[in-house]
Amino acid sequence: MTKEQRLKKRHAAEKRFRLYGLTSILVALVFVLILVNNIFSKGSSAFMKTVINVEVFFDSELIDIENGAPEENIREADFYDITIETLLKAYPAKNLDEENELIDLFTTDAEIEIKKAFLENNNLIGKKINLEITASDDIDQLHKGNYPRNLPEDRRRISNFQLKIYDNLLQNNKINKNFNNYFFNNGDSRDPELAGIGGALVGSFYSIIICLLLAFPVAVLASIYLEEFAPKNKITDFIEININNLAAVPSIVYGLLALQILLATIQLPRSTPLVAGITLALMTLPRIIIPCRASLKAVPPSIREGALAVGASKFQSVFHHVVPLSLPGTLSGTIIGLAQALGETAPLILIGMVAFVVDIPSTPIDPSSSLPVQVYLWSESAERGFVEKTSATIMMLLSFLIFMNFIAVYLRQKFEKRWN
Amino acid sequence: MNEVKIKSNNLNVFYGDKQALFDVNLDLNEKEVTALIGPSGCGKSTFIRCINRMNDVIDICKVTGNIEIDGVEINDENLDVVSLRERVGMVFQKPNPFPKSIYDNISYGPKIHGKGETKSELDEIVERSLKKAALWEEVKDRLDEPGTGLSGGQQQRLCIARAISVNPEVILMDEPCSALDPIATAKIEELIDELKKTYTIVIVTHSMAQAVRVSQKTGFFHLGKLIEVGKTEKIFKNPDNKMTQDYITGRFG
Repeated sequence: MTKEQRLKKRHAAEKRFRLYGLTSILVALVFVLILVNNIFSKGSSAFMKTVINVEVFFDSELIDIENGAPEENIREADFYDITIETLLKAYPAKNLDEENELIDLFTTDAEIEIKKAFLENNNLIGKKINLEITASDDIDQLHKGNYPRNLPEDRRRISNFQLKIYDNLLQNNKINKNFNNYFFNNGDSRDPELAGIGGALVGSFYSIIICLLLAFPVAVLASIYLEEFAPKNKITDFIEININNLAAVPSIVYGLLALQILLATIQLPRSTPLVAGITLALMTLPRIIIPCRASLKAVPPSIREGALAVGASKFQSVFHHVVPLSLPGTLSGTIIGLAQALGETAPLILIGMVAFVVDIPSTPIDPSSSLPVQVYLWSESAERGFVEKTSATIMMLLSFLIFMNFIAVYLRQKFEKRWN
Repeated sequence: MNEVKIKSNNLNVFYGDKQALFDVNLDLNEKEVTALIGPSGCGKSTFIRCINRMNDVIDICKVTGNIEIDGVEINDENLDVVSLRERVGMVFQKPNPFPKSIYDNISYGPKIHGKGETKSELDEIVERSLKKAALWEEVKDRLDEPGTGLSGGQQQRLCIARAISVNPEVILMDEPCSALDPIATAKIEELIDELKKTYTIVIVTHSMAQAVRVSQKTGFFHLGKLIEVGKTEKIFKNPDNKMTQDYITGRFG
């Protein structure tokens, strides 16, 4: 082979390699775009809800309450009759069946919404107000265009009569879309229009805080000890190998461990963020120790020697110089470990977080759900409304993860100091 | 001839199974510069790292024999290395300022040893140390800038100032000029000349010319053994040993 041929071959090889690289990046990008597009197109509608404008007349004969009544009386009062009366006024129904179909257009919480309006202004007796009542899931999906209305009636959940009412209301501009406050404020519900991620958000928040409080100090101290103080011998080698192995253990195994030890033996309350936090901390520990040790290792030995040479003790050289320099790596490693924990589902299912929890937990020892488990729960539900809720929850989860990773990058850049 | 400050007696150093120093007996005089020369891996750095017990950092390193400073044994398990290193400062081959401000680089040592309780005392120590290291004029207006932002030669003088800041008796220098250009080297050598009035200095160097210029006494190491030691003039003009002769004339090394 001549020199020119060799040169040509070398250039060709480089060009080929660049092409391969570019292709793989493009393929990866296409997959990411498909995923993001799919989630957004399905999920973005969940942030809005369909409401039906109705006229409420607070008839003193239908409610056993007076103007200016104290809050507790209102809460205990029965708003059922006035609710039914109000809903029936939305469209003329001829018989009991039609009346039931008409009422089914509204959410099952219509009574609560009317009561809430009265709570905000307790002088409404004898007055008429316009109120936007949340529509039922079927109407919500129909209004958002997710419902096939061309199917024969016996294969639809919405009857012809209901379709007629819907079209009539739409023509009279009685149907609107509002911001879906329920999605953020409510816990889980059997009714998709009422179901929200409030409980899952709080549950995830408590779990991650407990995980952080347990895992961060233990992981950092373990890393500093192993990297700076521990003698290098067979025992520390063994520990090191096992930490690496533990980081690779499937997360469901930690769930089984927690089930046996935390729930069965110690008898901690099941389905709670406390147990979830401890389980996630066990899982996250090795995943934080590894980047922590790497960032300690990355501090050049000359810094340690410099400190020792002016008479710093080992402890001083580590805590005055090495640890501050390793901080950016330590913090970003911790946050990425926590982000992984935030998205973890399998161990939480095993400790009972998969339970159907309506209430928003007020303490870490209340039963709760978490964001990824909520995704899992809703993805199995049959109702059409849960499809968009599932995707919207994934959007929330992904935005938290992106936010945490952003913080990690920010911290790294802010605190990173260059030596030499 | 000045008095003997540091005395080593049958010093042996092992890195695991490998022996790095063999029965080194070397006396270093007070307020004098002693140069240690020899080919790479001959044990000169290992020797000076015994004087401030820097070898303790290496797990597999074992030191036997005696080293005395002012007649006190320092190769002793019960000795407090922190106070030893306060007395024996060290400057490394590669400048290694802390990634902190110039001021913090100098004030760190005095702070941890409880010298300079007040800000004004610390200011004074910083100024004195930087002046002694001939760096004051260049950095006095930017003491809060990072030490790592200085040039290589300035960084090395900063490291010397850092070593001086705790007011040691001995300064060990491990090839302090190997990463520097000739101008920076000249400045450091001038500085060493000045410093020897106050401190006992041991310098490891690969440059014969530097050894001749800065030292009064020279020791030649080869394969872990001290081959010859004597007045610098004698070693370079008329060595007793054939191997020393070969090394300084560049026949091996």
